[in-house]
Amino acid sequence: MGEPKNEQLVEHVFRREYGKIISFLVHKFGPSHLERIEDAVQESLIKAMNLWGYNNPPNNPTSWLLRVANNMLIDTLRRDTKMDQKEDISGFERQHAVQEEVFLNNRINDSQLKMIFACCHPSLSKEYQIILSLKLIGGFGNKEIARALLKKEDAIAKSFTRAKKKLKEHVKTLNSPVEIGLRSRLTIVLKVIYLLFTEGYTASYGEILIKKDICLEAIRLALLLCENKYCNQPEVHALIALMCFHTSRFESRIDQNGDMVDLEHQDRKTYDFELIRVGIEHLEKAAVDSNPSDYHLQAAVAYYHCTAAKFEDTDWKGILQLYDLQLERQYSPIVWLNRIVPYYKVYGARKALLELQNFENGPYFSNSALFYAIKAQLLYDLKISGSAKEALQKAIHLTTNLLEKKHLSKKLNAY
Amino acid sequence: MSNFLFLFRGGNRARMEESPEAMQEHMQKWGAWMGGLKEKGQLVDGLPLAKEGNVVHKAGEVITDGPFAEGAEVVGGYLIVSADNQNEAVEISKGCPIFEHDGNVEIREIMSMDM
Repeated sequence: MGEPKNEQLVEHVFRREYGKIISFLVHKFGPSHLERIEDAVQESLIKAMNLWGYNNPPNNPTSWLLRVANNMLIDTLRRDTKMDQKEDISGFERQHAVQEEVFLNNRINDSQLKMIFACCHPSLSKEYQIILSLKLIGGFGNKEIARALLKKEDAIAKSFTRAKKKLKEHVKTLNSPVEIGLRSRLTIVLKVIYLLFTEGYTASYGEILIKKDICLEAIRLALLLCENKYCNQPEVHALIALMCFHTSRFESRIDQNGDMVDLEHQDRKTYDFELIRVGIEHLEKAAVDSNPSDYHLQAAVAYYHCTAAKFEDTDWKGILQLYDLQLERQYSPIVWLNRIVPYYKVYGARKALLELQNFENGPYFSNSALFYAIKAQLLYDLKISGSAKEALQKAIHLTTNLLEKKHLSKKLNAY
Repeated sequence: MSNFLFLFRGGNRARMEESPEAMQEHMQKWGAWMGGLKEKGQLVDGLPLAKEGNVVHKAGEVITDGPFAEGAEVVGGYLIVSADNQNEAVEISKGCPIFEHDGNVEIREIMSMDM
């Protein structure tokens, strides 16, 4: 027997292959066979697991798995439909020969791209878009998603079943060329990728490793978009840059006790500089002459944060400008609130507090944890500690994120 | 020293439910376990078996599609392991990843002409 040497398989290869092969087969056979396709791919992985545990994996695991899943699927379709082979699936023969690798990779990338557009179909809800992308393209399991998003496993399973039903209603084929209506669809796809990323990035008690995998998956999807000439747009690069910069600080935001560490107290030596480098590369590719997207502006803010050697070195003026540009593009109370932080760093706590009070009396004010957390910080800085405590207590009361609650409570003790 | 046949049964139902990531982890545990046996010179041979099969009775008068009524009873693979005695063989089997999926290992000494 061969030496059991399957460590040559890179991390997450099964998960990756799952998404690849699902996309390939859905592209080939159509979304109406989605459940049968899922079963066939699952079976092919089980077969691989049983076989590769004893032996070396084949040189090209993708084409091996694809062939096995394809043949299993064809057998099932023949059995289930009991139709004349020539009629229904005559075009789909059991594969014996291994396809040429380059050709196969191109077809897989093309399928995945189409699958992304299908999972992000505008008629699907945000929740469905996310779960379909995670399951069908990312290859994540229900248990993993549940652990990362702090939901019940059967809730994930139910939501996935409903999402698949909707997908099949709205997407009959992946064969429509990606170029059609691409610009408008691309905006939605980017939004879903960013949402996916945010789900992974939000600091919570969800399992850290899987959460980071979700972030990396979002980056991978955006990178896939770049490989297509119609999707290779500046804002895609800007989004990649943004996600790379954030992810570079992923572990630094949580300490050994699992508690949150704010930007000021993060150990910047632990940032992932390779990811920062990739981010900068994409930020350069994202360059536009005018009218930068929100992703551009946010990426630039994130760039300033993760490249400052010390918290004190942060270019707050530059960051403030970027927030002003964002607000000029589109007013958002959350962006406005976030802008107060660099404003405070540039103009001091007193002026910032005045701004905040104006906001409080304005039409956009609503009770939010972020508002009171910022207010508390400003008051504390101005040594009005009674009111600072009061504001912080309100923030603690309002936040629904348990990790943040703990973090703010610790702060309250220090006030 | 004798050789022992390890027959692995069951575990398939649990595997159907696993995520791709968990499957890969499980597979790598098998690889590591068998790699360890090989390093210690305890592994003689072994291969997985396909799900499908036939049982032939009466010189071919009766051929059935395997005796595989219940998933738990299917032999999924075998190993031949070299050990001092039955007790040591049992000890060796305890590290097998099949137990994670509620499968079991049947251990039979392979008879030798020297006995």
